[in-house]
Amino acid sequence: MSKHAAINTFGRSANPAFTKNFGNTYGDIPVAERMTLDGAVNKTGILLSLCFGGAFIGWNIPQLMFPAMLIGFVLALVTIFRSPAKAGSTAPLYALSQGIFLGGITMFFEAQFPGIAMQALALTFGILATLLVCYKSGLILPTQNFRLMLVSAIGGIMLLYIVNFVMSFFGSTLSFLTSNSPMSIGISLIITGVAALSLVLDFDFIEEGAEKGLPKYMEWYGAFSLMVTLIWLYLEILRLLAKIRSR
Amino acid sequence: MNNLVFGLIAVLSLFAFFKLSKVKASSKQLNRDNRINRFGSSKNKNENIIEGEAEEITDEEKKDA
Repeated sequence: MSKHAAINTFGRSANPAFTKNFGNTYGDIPVAERMTLDGAVNKTGILLSLCFGGAFIGWNIPQLMFPAMLIGFVLALVTIFRSPAKAGSTAPLYALSQGIFLGGITMFFEAQFPGIAMQALALTFGILATLLVCYKSGLILPTQNFRLMLVSAIGGIMLLYIVNFVMSFFGSTLSFLTSNSPMSIGISLIITGVAALSLVLDFDFIEEGAEKGLPKYMEWYGAFSLMVTLIWLYLEILRLLAKIRSR
Repeated sequence: MNNLVFGLIAVLSLFAFFKLSKVKASSKQLNRDNRINRFGSSKNKNENIIEGEAEEITDEEKKDA
């Protein structure tokens, strides 16, 4: 049976595995309930404000740092793997708890290296604005290969972190990840680069989501994914600056 | 003084981010074939299947054409 005869006999495939990628699944959502660029940006603003509020609490009560980190981690896993549709309720809590964690950890770094917090903050937001300009102007064009490369790099980095975390229970760490040697600084630079480029994927996700008219809750999900990357980037910059200044 | 400079950079960058993110990306970014297709295509710009009754073309007909 030829291809055309098969289409005439059986019609187009209704298999969701195929329609998911080739059909328009979001066309029937009313315009008012669709994701917009403005909505996603406003929600990012709300999450950032909550994160700053949390950081103020964490800075003043650093004992809350570790419980907040754990709560934030669980909330991130729930949002990503269980219910992206409920990101509207989990993402603000995530931003607040991670803010508390960041406030606490920044306080400790600031006590050791005065002025490091503001440097890390300026670098984080500077990178955010610069990469946004690069993305909007089309200077950086994220492709499927770009995404694959970044996802593989992030997977490798996470694996290193897990190994380092497990080793810390036995009183040892991966020195090239934690020391202030030139190699460790180089690795930190690469990790910071990967975290920064991940922002481009988040911008693209939000842009494409708004273009395709995804459901409204995806605004929260897009803002949440941007926050996750921003928090990671801030932490990496903080570590990198601390390594450089401790030499 | 350093804190003031870095604080200013942070605030300005944040301001630029909120202003710029509401602007639609350039056509160079949006109208290209190698975009990441996460949610499926709503417009199907490269659709090459013509809807309607399909006809089988034999090799002889091809040669005639």
